[in-house]
Amino acid sequence: MNCEVCQLKELEVEHFEIREVLRCILHTIVFHRALGLVRPKDVDLELFEITYVQCGDVELEKKIDEKIDQFISWVEKHPNKKSQICLSFYEVKSKQPSWFTNKTERLYWEQWYVNLNVTQHPKHLSSKLHHTKVVVDPGESATEERSSRRAMVEASLREVLFQIIKFVNEKKDHVPPISEGVIYFPYEITMPSSSDSAFGMDMIKRMLHSGHPTMLS
Amino acid sequence: MEMDRESGKLEQIVSQFRSKILHVILDSRVPSLHQQQQESLSLSRVRKTDKWFNLVLGDRPPALENLNFSLRNLLDPMVIDIILVRHGSCSSSVDNLYVPSAAAAAAAAGPSIETVIERWVVQYDCPRVFATPSGADAAVSYKKIYKKCILLLRSLYTQMRLLPAYIIFRQLSSLSQTYNFDLVYKVSSFSHPFSREEEDGMKVYSFAPVEALPGCLCVSVTYHASLSDFNLEPLVSLPPKIITDYVGSPTTDPMRSFPSSERGAHATSFPLRGLRPPSSAPFQRPHSWSSGFHRGIPPTRTQSLAGSPPVYRTSPKPYDITSPPTDLYGNRIQNHRVSTLQQATAFDEYKLSPPFSPSASPSTPTYLSGANPLLTRHCSETAPVTIPLPLTGRSTRYLSPNSSDPSRHSLPPLSPRSSKHDASSQESPSGIRSYRKLEALRAGESPSGLSNLYSAPKVVRDSKDDSGRFSGLLSSSGSPRIGFSRSSSRLSFQDDMDDCEFSCPFDVDDVDVSDSSSQNTESKRASEFTAQSNLVGKKSQDAAVGILVHMLRTAPPLRQDSSCYSTHSLRTEYEGGVGIASGFFMPRKTADALEELNSYREMKDLLLSKSGMK
Repeated sequence: MNCEVCQLKELEVEHFEIREVLRCILHTIVFHRALGLVRPKDVDLELFEITYVQCGDVELEKKIDEKIDQFISWVEKHPNKKSQICLSFYEVKSKQPSWFTNKTERLYWEQWYVNLNVTQHPKHLSSKLHHTKVVVDPGESATEERSSRRAMVEASLREVLFQIIKFVNEKKDHVPPISEGVIYFPYEITMPSSSDSAFGMDMIKRMLHSGHPTMLS
Repeated sequence: MEMDRESGKLEQIVSQFRSKILHVILDSRVPSLHQQQQESLSLSRVRKTDKWFNLVLGDRPPALENLNFSLRNLLDPMVIDIILVRHGSCSSSVDNLYVPSAAAAAAAAGPSIETVIERWVVQYDCPRVFATPSGADAAVSYKKIYKKCILLLRSLYTQMRLLPAYIIFRQLSSLSQTYNFDLVYKVSSFSHPFSREEEDGMKVYSFAPVEALPGCLCVSVTYHASLSDFNLEPLVSLPPKIITDYVGSPTTDPMRSFPSSERGAHATSFPLRGLRPPSSAPFQRPHSWSSGFHRGIPPTRTQSLAGSPPVYRTSPKPYDITSPPTDLYGNRIQNHRVSTLQQATAFDEYKLSPPFSPSASPSTPTYLSGANPLLTRHCSETAPVTIPLPLTGRSTRYLSPNSSDPSRHSLPPLSPRSSKHDASSQESPSGIRSYRKLEALRAGESPSGLSNLYSAPKVVRDSKDDSGRFSGLLSSSGSPRIGFSRSSSRLSFQDDMDDCEFSCPFDVDDVDVSDSSSQNTESKRASEFTAQSNLVGKKSQDAAVGILVHMLRTAPPLRQDSSCYSTHSLRTEYEGGVGIASGFFMPRKTADALEELNSYREMKDLLLSKSGMK
């Protein structure tokens, strides 16, 4: 089975926007992959005029929030770095146990890469300048800049959501059959760990297990 | 046969798919249908229609069912137009200041402009000649079709919330403002093509078709990318304003808050009386109707009715009226407080007056639940009419003298309070005279025919409570009875007049002897004993209540043979040094009462003469 990969458009967000943006994107993806009986739940973003849909599973919401917290803590330790979160869907297959492998293996059939560029908050810049007693241009210009920047982020987020919808519509054959009683497919959220090298090793391991086409070329 | 079964499955999938899409679209674009869905979703039960495509949307609106029926030909396209209706603006902006509803605004405005802002087309493209799969291939095929339909619906559901029209839908769904536009829908099997002007600014998005052999399901949408050109703004309306000087606010004169007591729920006298300070009465019976009366009454009426408003001002209680932030919130709080107080008062009423069931004042619960305060006040004036007459011995005596008198039933029943009051005002002189008479008797005399009076001291002290009891006691001995009946009938007449004003039967006594004694020819003698009677009254009010309760409990049925009128019906009890008598059942007439009064006068003269001789 092929593993379909979707690289979402990179978003330039500020630190305080990470949580809302990631919640919106991750829940939208999962909603499209929760093919069991769901009661959709509309959620309005507070920072943007966007409404996204959750599948209404409390456990799922909790797990996603935990992963987002981990990501935020990583971002705080690695400021001004481009980061990536990977949402993978897999199937559990049993195989012959051996010395180095487990009885079961995960066959990833779809991966979503959420690319974020977390920029430093403008307030930090203004506070620094304030300490040096340099008069920063306050008032309308800062407000307008903030609002225009906010509008840009909102538009980019909408584009990402449309990108998800388009990907879901165009590629349907690789989606496994729906199991009885299962609401959503098994998934995994990975993010850069404390060290970049470890993150890279995790990606290589996953590729070896899933037999990613890029490894074969 | 098998082919028919397979084609039936496909037809079912296509039909349900169309219905589901229609439901998703209308639920995200039509505010009224969305509200219905929200209500049905709250029930949290999954219906059969919800299980289709594993998407729980709630009950399908009836309109949707009708549309499904009219579009049952699955080969015809289903065109859903979402139309923005903009109501014409008025020439004067002042007209927009107050708009009760969007419909009213639409009616008042000029011609409306309709614009299709979204057009959804759902179609099952099927060639005329096709070969349907069969067997295992068909089953696998239908599962795949079904899965792909689920995926399409998921993405459609998400996209519905990303299109510009969703913002308009959310604006219209909110109840905080009214707008000069509305969203309507039209579902048909054909559509007029857009003009070039209409197509300008519109975009098309087509979902990937779902292969449903022999055909495929196609869903597409043509929508306005931006709605800023339509100038959609909320109607100018009066901003919400907090009215601080609303009627009923404690800060607004002459309104006052409820009087409070240590008991929490306390009695408030009917303002018309204005005779009783609430704090002076040891027994205060709460009145649910009077409490309702105090709420929300225009100040003018209150001024005319209330006796002394400042008297009723007490420390704030949880159920006291404070100034709510808004009228709506205030009404809610009032209703809540009314219900709370009503429960307290109802309990206290039952507790303090067992013979009076809660049904005795049936109107109290009803007109307290957020009713019109004016109506509340009106009801409060007439509430005591429901008190059953037979339970009050005194009332029986007073009303039965002329049983054929139709006005008997029209008069409000006598209340113990009024009895007490009137007894204190009218009866006290006679009662005091009786007391004095008894004192004289104890001094050494034992007049014949008055032996029963030895038990009277206990009655006398309580005579102000119920002259009828006293008269009944005396009437057992013969002529004095007659005299007493006359007096009681006279008092009953006055009571009847008074009851026209004092309609609360269980209002606390407002012993104001000075007002009523002026009507008595023996005013000087009455005033001599006023202080003493007041003192006795204050001490015995609690006991008076117990006496009254006991009397009412032991009161015999209304219809009694005159032969029953005997000493056996009398029972005396000592309660705090006060004796009571109960059980006066004989129907009396006014003539009897007058005779009794005359005989009493004769007795009085006799006593005076005797005392003068000594």
